[in-house]
Parts: sequence; C-alpha cells; structure tokens
Amino acid sequence: MTTNDNDKIPLFKNWKNWYVLVIAFLVILIIAFYFFTQYFS
Amino acid sequence: MSHALDWIVLIGTLILTIVYGVYKSRTTHNLDGYILANRSMPWGLVLLSIMGTQASAITFISAPGQAYTDGMRFVQYYFGLPIAMVVICIFFVPIFSKLKVYTAYEYLENRFDGKTRTLTSFLFLLSRGLSTGISVFAPSIILSSLLGWNIYWTNIFMGGLLIIYTMTGGAKAVAYTQQLQFIIIFVGMFLAAYMVVHMLPQNVGFMDALHVSGKLGKLNVITTGISKKGFNWSDQYNLLSGLIGGFFLALSYFGTDQSQVGRYLTARSVTQSRIGLLMNGLVKVPMQFLILMIGALVFTFYQFNNAPIFFNHTQLARIESSSLKDSFYVARNAFDKIAVQKQQAVVDFSQALHSKDKEQEEIKGQQLQALQKTSDSLRKKVKDWINSKQVGGDGNDTNYIFLRFVVDYLPAGLVGLLIAIIFLASWGSIAAAINSLASSSMVDFHKRFTKKKEETGENEYRLSQWYTLAWGIFCVIVAMFTYNIGNSLIEAVNVLGSLFYGVILGVFLVAFFFKKIKNGSAVFWAAVLAELLVLTVFILTKTGAFKMGFLWLNPIGAFGVIFFAILLNGIFRKKEIA
Repeated sequence: MTTNDNDKIPLFKNWKNWYVLVIAFLVILIIAFYFFTQYFS
Repeated sequence: MSHALDWIVLIGTLILTIVYGVYKSRTTHNLDGYILANRSMPWGLVLLSIMGTQASAITFISAPGQAYTDGMRFVQYYFGLPIAMVVICIFFVPIFSKLKVYTAYEYLENRFDGKTRTLTSFLFLLSRGLSTGISVFAPSIILSSLLGWNIYWTNIFMGGLLIIYTMTGGAKAVAYTQQLQFIIIFVGMFLAAYMVVHMLPQNVGFMDALHVSGKLGKLNVITTGISKKGFNWSDQYNLLSGLIGGFFLALSYFGTDQSQVGRYLTARSVTQSRIGLLMNGLVKVPMQFLILMIGALVFTFYQFNNAPIFFNHTQLARIESSSLKDSFYVARNAFDKIAVQKQQAVVDFSQALHSKDKEQEEIKGQQLQALQKTSDSLRKKVKDWINSKQVGGDGNDTNYIFLRFVVDYLPAGLVGLLIAIIFLASWGSIAAAINSLASSSMVDFHKRFTKKKEETGENEYRLSQWYTLAWGIFCVIVAMFTYNIGNSLIEAVNVLGSLFYGVILGVFLVAFFFKKIKNGSAVFWAAVLAELLVLTVFILTKTGAFKMGFLWLNPIGAFGVIFFAILLNGIFRKKEIA
C-alpha cells in the first residue's frame, strides 16, 4: 500500500461523503427492515 | 448424494479452485509477495477477499437454519459492521499504511513495547488458530452426518486440500481463489433461493411465502430486546446489541485480526483499501439479509411439505435406540398429524391472502399460529430428550436444516453445487486464516526471536510456506479433536472471538486514542487484567450467576483495557517520579 496515494477518490470529492453514504445507507436499511418486519408480522 | 452428476459437479468445482489457486500462485519470493501480494490488489479483489474471509461455510450452513428456528433477527448482529468500516478507514488504515507493517501487531511494538506486541499477537494466534480448527470441523461434521461420509477424511478434505494453493501462493492465491469462490457461491445460493420458491405450490408466490413466514414470526428482522421487564441483556440478537456489541466485534475483527488486516494490506493504495472496506460496509448487511431470507423461505416450503421433527438423523437414531424411544414415536406421530393440519391451514391462509379477505386472513393466520405453537412445543420436547442423559446427544439441529432441504429436495447437479459451495466458503475463510497465522508467526515471532537476524527474501518466503503448512496441519488436528460443539456453530465461533477480540481491540484503542499512555508495561498488564475480567464474566454467565449475551463481552474487554491502562499508567508514572 503506498502512502503517496495517486488513486483518486471515486464517486465523491472527499472521504467524508463516502462515510456519510455508508452510515446513511445503514440507517435506511434499518428503517426499511423495521417496516418489512411490521408489514409481514 | 448418490447421483453421479452431483459428484462430478462437486469434484470438478473443487479441482477447478485448486488449479486456479496454484495458477495464480506466481508471486515474488519474499515476504512482501507471500504475505501481502506485493501490495498490488485493486479494491474489488480486496472487497471479495474481505467478504470471503468472513463468510465461511458456517455462514451458509448455519444462517438459513437460524432463520428457520429463530427468525431473521440474526441480521442485526451485522448492524455494527458498517460503522466499524468507517472507523477503520479513518483511523486504522492510514496508520498501518504509513508504517508499512506486515501485521497489525508490528505497530504495537513501535507504540508501546515488544511484550505488548507479543501478547496481542499471541492472543490472535490462540483465538484464530482454535476458531479455524472449529471452522474446519463445523462443516465437516454436518456433511459427515448428512451424507454418511467418514468425519476424519471429510476434515482432511475440508482443511487439507486448500493448503496446496495457500502454501504455494500465499496472499495472492488466497485473494484470487476467494474471487472465484464468491462468484460460484452467489450463483449457487441464488439458484437455491429460486428453487425454494419454484417448488412451492402453483398458486403460492414469493410474496405469499413471505406472508406465511411473517405470520409465523420468522420475518422478525428488527427486534428491540425490550419487554415489560425492561431491556433483556441476555437476548443475543437485537438492535442495540447489534449496533453496539456488533460494532465492537466488527471493529476488533476487521481492525486487529490479522486474517482481515492482511486482506486490506494487500491493496495497492490507501484509496483501494478504503473502498474495499467501505463497499463491504454497504453490501454485507443486505447479503446477510438475503441469506437469512433463504432460511425463512425454506421454513415456508416446509409448511407445505412434511418437515421432519428433527433434522439431524444421527441424533434421531440415538433417541430411537434409547429408553425414550416410545415417547419419541408418540411425539413424532402427533407432529406429523399437526403437519397435515398446518398444510391445509397454510393453503387456506394463502387463499385468504389472494382474495384479500382480511377477516379470513386473520382467522386462518391465528389458526396457523396456534398449530405452529403446538408443533414448536413438540420439537422442543424432542430436543430436550436428545439433550437428556438417557440419550446424551446434541439437541440443536440448526446447522442441518438447510442442507437437509438441499439433499432431500433439490435436483441432481444443484445438490453437488451446494455441497461444493460449503467447501468453497470454508476454503476461502480458512485459507485467509492460515495465511494470517503464518504471517504473524513469521513476522511477530520468528523474525523477532530467532538469533539469525538477516534472512534473504527467498528464505523468508520458504519459511512462511512452512509456517503455512504447519498451521494448516494444526487446524486439521484441532478439527479432529473437536466434538460436541453444541450451539449453532456460527454462534460458537463468535463466542470464541468475543472472548479475545475485545481485549485486542482495547490495546489498539489505547494506542490510537490515548497518546499520553506511553508505558508499555501498563498496557501489557491492562490487557492481562482485562482478559481475566472477560473470562470471569463469561464463566459467571455460563454458570448462571447472571445472564448476558456474548456480544457484550467485546465492549467489556475493550473498555476494560482502557480503564486498567489509564489506572496502571498513573501508578507506574508515580513510581517513576518517586
């Protein structure tokens, strides 16, 4: 792994947006799973 | 599995994997090449390697069975994982890459001292070595029971053949074979899911199947663990234990366990490493959800077909040759009669769904629930009898449910493919584990403690290969001696992990976030005390002194190290000043 990272960050301009994406996706999944549980129970 | 096509598919898939792994073994003959694939991997391979390492055969055997018996709430166990991926990307990856470490524990010698590094890597070798042995045994005993194979030869094929390409090619062979394995695994699981729905009665579709499953409590994806008595600390899988306990487990596993650290250290850059980890954070939870849903669908399938009262025939043979034989036959007859009534009730329920008759849907749904309750209680009786002294067996059949369904109902060819998947999933995680055990042995122990300090790259490469072989043999030997795992195997491996991961994580958390703690002895003894605390708590929960889910052992270990490190650092500093 090189420390001088020449690979551009894909999709976003910075890593913070990636972290927000991952956490936001988790929250959306939990909410979706909650409604899934309620609907089929 | 008597059909020739199944054997052809099984053996062909395994040979393809070994040949592909050996073919991809070409790497530079030094530690960088063998342990870290010359730090050249793109994020896609890193991602598949991370997933392939975590998702062992236990995932694919046990998870659908968990959903069948306990519902889909097990998915909550993975809720902490995405958060852990973010934390590792922010704090762990930059430090490991800056220091160009081969193992996670090398960093600790820079930060504290040699004995802290040695203790932490020893805890890793102990926990990973034993759990890898269980990972060899776990699928072997199931296949052995199901298909009548000799357990010792199954252990050898499960844990031995992969040594061929792992020893030859190191991290590179592991990564490329995991890529191939994952593709085959996903194709196979998709086909299995398709077949489950396809084999339902003609007028029962996928949504109907979900409604049946949900009505009978199997689609309980989100549970809070909160009842009238308050929060249930002994409840293993709920939203809170998954988010908090699961977070600490995932943080420790991916941040400090060399079997995972070694995967993303192979990335060609920090960017590739981070993307691989973050993508894992995005796909892991949906992947587990889908695997568990297969179990829920298998449950629905068995409402329309005759489910066995117990899925492990070996254990049934024990009870049938015991003094409880007559009681068992009475229970089984009652269970089979209930099954016939349930089949009619589930057809009626499905018809009510189609006709959108809410009143009938409610009535038939309640009938179904009442019948399910009765059949559950009969199953519990049989499990208790199997666990009793008269029978002396293992009353947990969670790990046999999915494979029983595969062997009994799926067409020829697909059975062979799904058995092959068990091997491939097993090989993927075991290969990564053995590679990491060899890496840590070589870097954290051999290079540190041997008198001969200067080794050529070629010699280090050869020594690493021998360590790989040695650990492979060790894990197969552990598998040979592992009996009566008891609980769901996926739970057994995670309980073992939770005994050590929290402490290992705690050492790294002190290293990253408590810069004022510089005294290596303080951290070393803090880790020892915290480990004793974790083991004490575990023993107390096992003896029934109090109840607590095993996931909570992780934060206990981590915070224990932090607490004791702060305390001891203060004491040692005062002594130094004095």
